[in-house]
Amino acid sequence: MKRYLLTLLSLVAILTVVVACAPQTVTVTVERTVPVRETVQVTVEKPVAKRIVIYNSYMSDPAPREADAALVKMFEEEHPDIDVIHSTIAHEDFKQAIRAYLTASTPPDVMTWFAGNRARFFIDKGLIMDISDVWEKEGWNESYPKGFRALSTVNDKQYFLPASWYWWAVYYRKDIFDQYGLKPPQTWDEFLQVCETLKKNGITPITIGTKYPWTAAGWFDYLNMRVNGPEFHINLMLGKERYDDPRVKKVFTDYWGVLIQKGYFLENAAAYSWSEALQFMIEGKAAMYLMGDFIRDSYPDELEGNLDFFRFPIIDPNVPIGEDAPTDGFFIAANSQHPEEAKLFLAFLGSVKAQQYFADTLGRLPTNMGVDTSKFTPVQLKGLELIKGADYVAQFYDRDTTPEMAEKGMAGFMEFWDNPGAIDDILARLEAARQEIFAGQ
Amino acid sequence: MARRTVLYRLSPYLFLIVPLIIYCIWVVGPMLYTIYLSFTNWDGVSSPAVIGWRNYQKLFRDPVFYISLTNNLKWMLCFITIPVVGGLALALALNRNIPGAKFFKTSFYSPMVLSLVVCGLIWSWMYHPAKGLINESLRLIGLDALAKGWLSDRRLVMWAIIAVGVWRQVGYVMVLYLAGLQGVDPTLVDASRVDGCSNWQTIWHVILPLLSPVTVVVVVISIIDSLRAFDLVSVMTRGGPYYSSSVLANFMYIEAFNNYKMGYGAAISVILFILSAVFIFLYLWRVMQTEMEY
Repeated sequence: MKRYLLTLLSLVAILTVVVACAPQTVTVTVERTVPVRETVQVTVEKPVAKRIVIYNSYMSDPAPREADAALVKMFEEEHPDIDVIHSTIAHEDFKQAIRAYLTASTPPDVMTWFAGNRARFFIDKGLIMDISDVWEKEGWNESYPKGFRALSTVNDKQYFLPASWYWWAVYYRKDIFDQYGLKPPQTWDEFLQVCETLKKNGITPITIGTKYPWTAAGWFDYLNMRVNGPEFHINLMLGKERYDDPRVKKVFTDYWGVLIQKGYFLENAAAYSWSEALQFMIEGKAAMYLMGDFIRDSYPDELEGNLDFFRFPIIDPNVPIGEDAPTDGFFIAANSQHPEEAKLFLAFLGSVKAQQYFADTLGRLPTNMGVDTSKFTPVQLKGLELIKGADYVAQFYDRDTTPEMAEKGMAGFMEFWDNPGAIDDILARLEAARQEIFAGQ
Repeated sequence: MARRTVLYRLSPYLFLIVPLIIYCIWVVGPMLYTIYLSFTNWDGVSSPAVIGWRNYQKLFRDPVFYISLTNNLKWMLCFITIPVVGGLALALALNRNIPGAKFFKTSFYSPMVLSLVVCGLIWSWMYHPAKGLINESLRLIGLDALAKGWLSDRRLVMWAIIAVGVWRQVGYVMVLYLAGLQGVDPTLVDASRVDGCSNWQTIWHVILPLLSPVTVVVVVISIIDSLRAFDLVSVMTRGGPYYSSSVLANFMYIEAFNNYKMGYGAAISVILFILSAVFIFLYLWRVMQTEMEY
């Protein structure tokens, strides 16, 4: 009983304190209304003067990160009244976070993303802002090649700004090739010959890190395009061809499997990320790497003179040439809270000035035709030639097909890598996955 | 008086009302919402549509689900044996006034201070096939054949990750047992000595039975920890090579946030929740029982 009384008493005490507090706070605020008003006037002026735009970027590798920050700074200098709130998110995390960003009530205004199917998914859902007016106003309809304009257009409206693109190729160590009297191979037989010579001399012919298995997807892209042609490849990506097609199987048994069985790839590749596997090439223990041009960002500058690249060898000369050239760019979220500022920022990112800076510092290829190509490095010009010589340009395995199909496909590639004998099983499972994934589309 | 008893009964709830509301909004609510989502085809962007039991039907046909479940069971088996036996042995050995006991206690417990992500990163370097501490040491003493690709071999990778978990767990279990040993009445131990027990007999017939409440707690905690396993896998392999080190939590994460199959991911987490709930209720039941004894 005593306890109960105590409880009640304490409850009453708490309640009275709460009740007593309430009017007190009110009187305090009433007393101080005058000084408060003054300070409010001061603070209100600032946000009006300083406008903001929120920019989330996935350029998390050191070199692009630096260039990205420099671009933001250039924009802020041009528009002193606008503050860019810039966040850089690790590439893999960004891919997972973007859905949360886009469906938030206050999303980041401007974001980096992949052109093509990956952007199309969000455009179809109405999550990306129509920026046809920016395209019109900035004259991009004329200054951007038709292909890039098409990549950004849905139902005659532009939603995307393709900003930079890069090529994939087989990168190799010139000095190692010279040492063994090797020339960049152009055909499959020459390629096998090069691998054999390197292997005999104790050099790992091809380095690769498949902890994140997209690197293996690059091999599938190229082998499938070289063996079966880009048209078949892209239809497979779109879910219109079967994974258990004998043509797909041929890629694994007659080509990829041969490289694996002969031990041409780096040992224990699955233990490394792509950049950890690059170490073997930097140290001269491995000679070749099928990779995008961003490999040069992670390659030590003082050794870059030894790094060169060649077109993935031709397997069947009768098949049109397909290349991977992923395009990155920017878009504005549909429910952006600062659309005016966002459009200004986007206009800057697509301008000749910004593209020139990005191309010059990183060696990526610009999309805006106004960019002065006379200052291009020989590497950039060589990359440009590589893509110009292609009959078809694909984005990349995990950009051309759906995320789920890509995840399952890449796991299948890794299983094949480990157990080439199970290929029929693996392809049957991928085919079942394809039918399920593309059934609703 | 009647009014008073009503208030008397209500008063604990009145005090609890704020935390209960918070708990409902942030814990119970999302839990129920997850159960709802597991019956939908939500992709994280569109509005969810109810598709009945389809996610669960797919789940029970999915080979990755069984790989993950088996890996969780391996994890559980290792966790309820190695750290429990090892931790108990360490506790018995260090529960004496031998020189350096404090130092050893601290060292064995210190991995617990590191977050699992840090442990995973450090061990990834130790497991590095070409330059890692483990393989380099093996090569140094001429055991080249044993220098494996610990994280790239599908037969080894799960055990290699579990070993890291065990390494971290041993010290934790040791501390729990050390605390339990404080509660063992020394007079009982002395009595067994007087009656002529050997060291082993004392441990087996006197100390272990007295430690059994601790053992129950340790085993249940280990089981729950093994079902929660996610961090190490996510950092060290992300479930690879091709799902061979996938555990349920990691499988759920990839389906939901990488493949954008929120509904399917929710179904996996519901199964994981049911599995965990069984052991958590066992644990709580045991804790309440022991509380009542005193």
